[in-house]
Amino acid sequence: MSKNRRLQNTKNFRIVTIGAPLSEIFPKIGKVIPTTMLFPVDIKLYCCYIRQKFTDLTRKGHMLFKYSLLLAVLLSGTAFGVHAAEDNSDWLESYNRAVFNFNYQLDKYTLKPIAKGYRAVTTPDIRNRVNSALFNVIEPVSAGNHALQGNGQKAVTSVARFLINSTLGLGGMFDVAEGWGLKKNRTNFDETLATWCVPDGPFFMMPILGPTTPRALTGTAVGAVSNPVYLSTLNDANYRDKITWSYTAVDAIASRERSLDLLDDLEKNSVDFYTTVRSAYMQNRQSLRQLCRSNKDDGKASYDFDFEIEDEDEF
Amino acid sequence: MKKNIFGVLISCLMLTAFSASAAVDAGNAKAFVEKVTQEGLVDIINSNVSQQEKDRRFEKLFNEALDLKFIGQFVLGRYWRTATPEQKKEFIEVYRQLNVKTWSQRFDEFRGKKFIFNGTSPSSSANQIFVNSSVPMDQGNPASVVWRVKQSGNSFKIVDIIIENVSLAITARNEYTAFIKKSPNGIDGLIKDLKAKVRQN
Repeated sequence: MSKNRRLQNTKNFRIVTIGAPLSEIFPKIGKVIPTTMLFPVDIKLYCCYIRQKFTDLTRKGHMLFKYSLLLAVLLSGTAFGVHAAEDNSDWLESYNRAVFNFNYQLDKYTLKPIAKGYRAVTTPDIRNRVNSALFNVIEPVSAGNHALQGNGQKAVTSVARFLINSTLGLGGMFDVAEGWGLKKNRTNFDETLATWCVPDGPFFMMPILGPTTPRALTGTAVGAVSNPVYLSTLNDANYRDKITWSYTAVDAIASRERSLDLLDDLEKNSVDFYTTVRSAYMQNRQSLRQLCRSNKDDGKASYDFDFEIEDEDEF
Repeated sequence: MKKNIFGVLISCLMLTAFSASAAVDAGNAKAFVEKVTQEGLVDIINSNVSQQEKDRRFEKLFNEALDLKFIGQFVLGRYWRTATPEQKKEFIEVYRQLNVKTWSQRFDEFRGKKFIFNGTSPSSSANQIFVNSSVPMDQGNPASVVWRVKQSGNSFKIVDIIIENVSLAITARNEYTAFIKKSPNGIDGLIKDLKAKVRQN
């Protein structure tokens, strides 16, 4: 089969790879969001992979059902909670598992070894400096989101932290402001949406990006276009792509290094890694519900549930 | 006569109301968790004894502090009822072994750190309470660790540990029920896999 033909087929399945078709569905947004920021690896490669997966599903007759569900769910943003006791909320499980396995293999041979190498050649102190600098870059994003959440004081704190740490803290490598009592308080657009009581939607796996939900993905996209690195290089035709790429790469490696131990621990102790990741991810997101004022009233912690056993038997 | 019946009824109501609200002794629950973490961190992880001795002490502490029979029964979900007594026994034992290994390793990562306790909060189960704590980290915000404590009589047992909003019990239940649903060998398949995990670690 010719390459062209294969790519043409891919188009029919574009909905699952949101980043790729964005420029076609919404030409204007497509120009604003550089695909490089969302997906640092060849998109066509995984388009083909997912197409294959979906063709398999079609043969089994599942596809139309799942496909329309994904579409409906993404568009309406319907909320599905995670129920502590009985967990039936994984509507997209077979799709999710396929993408999870793909991401797992990809990570195993690319990002994970790179992150391990990065750890091997740096000291904890150097990594702390790198992490601080990376967090400092997005401090203005936190400031903007604090403002959107109606929290003026925190917004001002974030602006002050950014100004102090960028200058006296040598480009954010040192957190001088923390010592002056300006406590770090990060937030993002996802939390802003949570404050506005936007429902989270169902769990789904994004190729490359990993676990997400419609609201989390929206947060990531808005975070990407409001990133100062991206905005400040927007008009610089010569270096724009180079800077954005390098920043994305460094950010990806540093954040993978931060989660090395946690993910290894989870994997080592789990008999079904996908379910463990999904469960932990969604439990963590459930706690954001508290940001919405109308949910605050019930006062129940997100991890609280009726922990009773019907009949504690002797055996 | 009528008055008597009323009196009995009211005292009954008061008794049940009283026992529901005063079921958990918050102060003692907190003291219990503080003692367990203290023992785990100071007397075991930071002590100068052989690894073997450390493992032995940790296992003893773990068996005393956690109600693994209660948690184990919960994490199997609806499959608990269909399990045979042998399967139940075997599952609880292997689940206990895996948790001892997992948590001794996790406590090892807390070496040199300490738990800061921030009071308690009520839970939706009458005889249980949350003890809140946090662990300061080198980088970023402190990690939040919440202990769910169950009281029966005067004794306390930990029934759930919640790290950064992720509950041990809920995660295990989601994971194990999903595994059994997929596995052709059901609960036996799960027990076999857990045994392999214990050997690996």
